[in-house]
Amino acid sequence: MSATAPVRPAGYALVRAGRGSFLVHRRATAVALGLTVLLAAACLLYLCVGKSWVAPGEALKVVFGRPSAQELTVGSFRLPRMTVGLLAGAAFGVAGALIQTVARNPLASPDIIGVSQGASALTVGAMTYGITSYAALPYVAVAGGLLAAALVYAFAWRGGLQAARFVLIGIGFAIALRSVTHLFLTKGDYLVAQQAKVWMTGSLNSRGWDEAAPLAWTLLVLVPCVCWAARAQRTVSMDDDTATALGVRLGRVRLGLALLGVVLASVATGAAGPVDFVALLAPQIARRMTRTAQIPLLCSALTGAFVVVVADLLGRKLFEPTELPVGVLTAAVGAPYLIWLIARSRTGGRA
Amino acid sequence: MSTTDVPAASRLAARGLTLSYEDRTVVDGLDLEIPDGEVTVVVGPNACGKSTLLRALGRLLKPARGAVFLDGEELDRLPTRRIAQSLGLLPQTPVAPEAITVADLVARGRQPHQRWWQQWSEADERAVTDAMARTDVTALAGRPVDELSGGQRQRVWIAMALAQETDLLLLDEPTTYLDISHQVEVLDLVRRLNHERGRTVVAVLHDLNQAARYADHIVAMKAGRVVAAGRPSEVVTAELVHEVFGLACVVVPDPVTGGPLVVPGKPWGA
Repeated sequence: MSATAPVRPAGYALVRAGRGSFLVHRRATAVALGLTVLLAAACLLYLCVGKSWVAPGEALKVVFGRPSAQELTVGSFRLPRMTVGLLAGAAFGVAGALIQTVARNPLASPDIIGVSQGASALTVGAMTYGITSYAALPYVAVAGGLLAAALVYAFAWRGGLQAARFVLIGIGFAIALRSVTHLFLTKGDYLVAQQAKVWMTGSLNSRGWDEAAPLAWTLLVLVPCVCWAARAQRTVSMDDDTATALGVRLGRVRLGLALLGVVLASVATGAAGPVDFVALLAPQIARRMTRTAQIPLLCSALTGAFVVVVADLLGRKLFEPTELPVGVLTAAVGAPYLIWLIARSRTGGRA
Repeated sequence: MSTTDVPAASRLAARGLTLSYEDRTVVDGLDLEIPDGEVTVVVGPNACGKSTLLRALGRLLKPARGAVFLDGEELDRLPTRRIAQSLGLLPQTPVAPEAITVADLVARGRQPHQRWWQQWSEADERAVTDAMARTDVTALAGRPVDELSGGQRQRVWIAMALAQETDLLLLDEPTTYLDISHQVEVLDLVRRLNHERGRTVVAVLHDLNQAARYADHIVAMKAGRVVAAGRPSEVVTAELVHEVFGLACVVVPDPVTGGPLVVPGKPWGA
């Protein structure tokens, strides 16, 4: 591997590996490294802080599988819960980035175009009809999200996928599905409604390895798809005619990107509930940090993970012993930063 | 008439082409040959279907009937990426991703020549450097495209289309939004490309006089049909301008080029 001297486009470094050559955005790489360090620090803090303080050294011992006295607190409770938050946050971040890219709209995200609402409606419906086990609910949520997205897609398709139409129909479905959820909530009994409410806010409470493992495997399987998406994304950010003229099979690429985004969002929703705003905020924050022409996927994932981990850490600690669901705090963590970024930039509120 | 099975003499040709939006037919049964290695300019009144025709030639619009042929093969049957390796197209109002730099945008023209695992090669580097030098945007390389003036931006877009390094280049009103000096600059560039590199260019232009000056071959369209096609000196006549545009005018020799120059009738009240 070697980098050669003057390479266009400016701001990119060229990395060669065998016959392959890859363009790497310099600033995005630096931001990704910075975010990784921040995320690692947040994770370590997450494992240390709780009802009882665990020394960082002990926490690290547990993470690396060495024997430790804190095995139970860290290994059985905090670590799996953090893993779910970390993975769900990353998945939400990438999902939001993909949906925003396809819709060419910074306000589009899985929780706006009906994916989260579909997951909620089906999950709450299932709860009302007696399925309350956390072993089954994630699958119900994934099915709900995919179903909602398929409906939106079917209605938005008109010989092609037009971005604005897609978003508007998505918003319509989101509103309709929210009503369905409320219908179920009113119909169900008090305890079920209570459980459903907590789930709908997005909570990581009592998530263990049983939830973390399937989530991790699913995301691992999707990694090659995300690598493809990172490159494919470049081409769909142009207008339709220009992209087609450059030899992009726009319909397919867009469908692929949207599908991947919906699957990621559904899987994350299944594990953590519809955590609000992460999918909306993370890509925009990431893009403003990297200043790339398209939304950077890796940085979106890292930002999403960071926001969720920090939000859950605050949620656990802030009003101890009362625990706040993570969804309450994700917006509180991410929104002020995004507002500051937008207010500070010259380009204002554009995508 | 059935000419579909006659082999085309030129690389880009249309046979019995019918184009429609929804159920409104814009172009009806059109036959066209684009002469290789020449600059062809399509002219005609508003809504005559000239841009629609260009879109179909660049596979952006699927024909309702008939077909466009590229090197004897039906455009619809060729993979879009392969088309992009020999045919470039610049739409009327292309949209750049926000905050993209000039060099980055021009580099996107290399898309059809790249693979997922081969994102940059010496050929890419050469094509982009060359395209930027030719359009005189090298000095703007690091600037965001959305901060540029209209003229600069248009030159950047043309640079992107040039970086694609296709033998055929379709331009949809490349001079819109440009002041007269930038218009001339862009058209001169097109001609230079054609002469020095032997590129075949098809452009839609509004200005009949510019068409007469810069085209080797003019295609005059009206209501979805080709009314006349040929050398500017043969095509641009007072009768034809009247027939196509419904405009009374005199055609005099251009004092600079000697070609036809359209001078419309007296202004009202003059």
